Amino acid sequence: MKPRQMKAPGRPRRMAWADLCSLLGGVGLAFFLVSAFTPLPNLLSRSMGDPSSLEPAEAIVVLGGGVMPDGVLSNSSMRRALHGILLHRKGLAPLLVFFGPVRDGGPAEAEVRAELARALGVTPGVILAAAEARTTGEEALRGGALLHARGVRRILLVTDAHHMRRARTAFEQAGFEVLAAPAQDLSSRVSRPEERLEVMRRIVEERLARLYYGLAGYL
Amino acid sequence: MGHLLIPVLVGVTSVAAYLVGAKGLRLSHGCFRKAVRRMLESLGVTLIFLGVNLGAAVIVILAARALTREFVSLYLAADETLLVLSLIQALIFQGWRDLSGANVSRS
Repeated sequence: MKPRQMKAPGRPRRMAWADLCSLLGGVGLAFFLVSAFTPLPNLLSRSMGDPSSLEPAEAIVVLGGGVMPDGVLSNSSMRRALHGILLHRKGLAPLLVFFGPVRDGGPAEAEVRAELARALGVTPGVILAAAEARTTGEEALRGGALLHARGVRRILLVTDAHHMRRARTAFEQAGFEVLAAPAQDLSSRVSRPEERLEVMRRIVEERLARLYYGLAGYL
Repeated sequence: MGHLLIPVLVGVTSVAAYLVGAKGLRLSHGCFRKAVRRMLESLGVTLIFLGVNLGAAVIVILAARALTREFVSLYLAADETLLVLSLIQALIFQGWRDLSGANVSRS
């Protein structure tokens, strides 16, 4: 009799746990299927980015995107850097500013990108490499101080489309007039399940980052 | 059409597996629904582990930033291996619960 008496109060709790987990699993599975096999990530991706507004400014500011310890730029970092260099070559601003810190004892991302710009024919004197800032918030604050000291107020901001809104707000709060110049590193027209999942991952990641910046008082 | 390859492929192999199970191995139809529910339950436990792991990772990273001069990026927490490891944790936890429940019933 004793085991039955023990089981009676435990069974509803076990069922409630199983029901809760099943519900959560169902929601998770539905989210996965919708993300991988429907155009939802594409639609959300289009609604997240700010439109490009390419007008003359006082500086082109290229935010950090990651570098490997051996100095190899991440895809995102390379796309941002090339976009910034192209904007400079179009004559949209006289100053080209690269952000990007050191990672794991390797070279600073900002220096690697500055070297790339010089190799692509940008005059060394117009390139500024800022390797101290490590987050978007720090880029806006520390980089902001660097640019304010040079009298820069109006900037063309280069970062990923998903990241643009958070970065733009941070730089506007630092006192800049910001013109968005998003570098597309993920197309919003992808159709393969793996690519759609990557877009959804980036969307969720950026939403969480905005939440964190809001809670931490950065935005 | 290329993007339909994976879902169609998995759909076909799933139907084939169901037919093999139902006709060839004579598995119970009722147990099939229970198995789907069991899968959803395991998936739910995986998501709980993932949430706990992510939360713990954020706390550890923020603590490391506060207590040391070392900068640790929050993006480190967004590692895809965390999902796979959470799945392993969930499967072990579920198996443990099941086997413990079976032992209690027998005793």
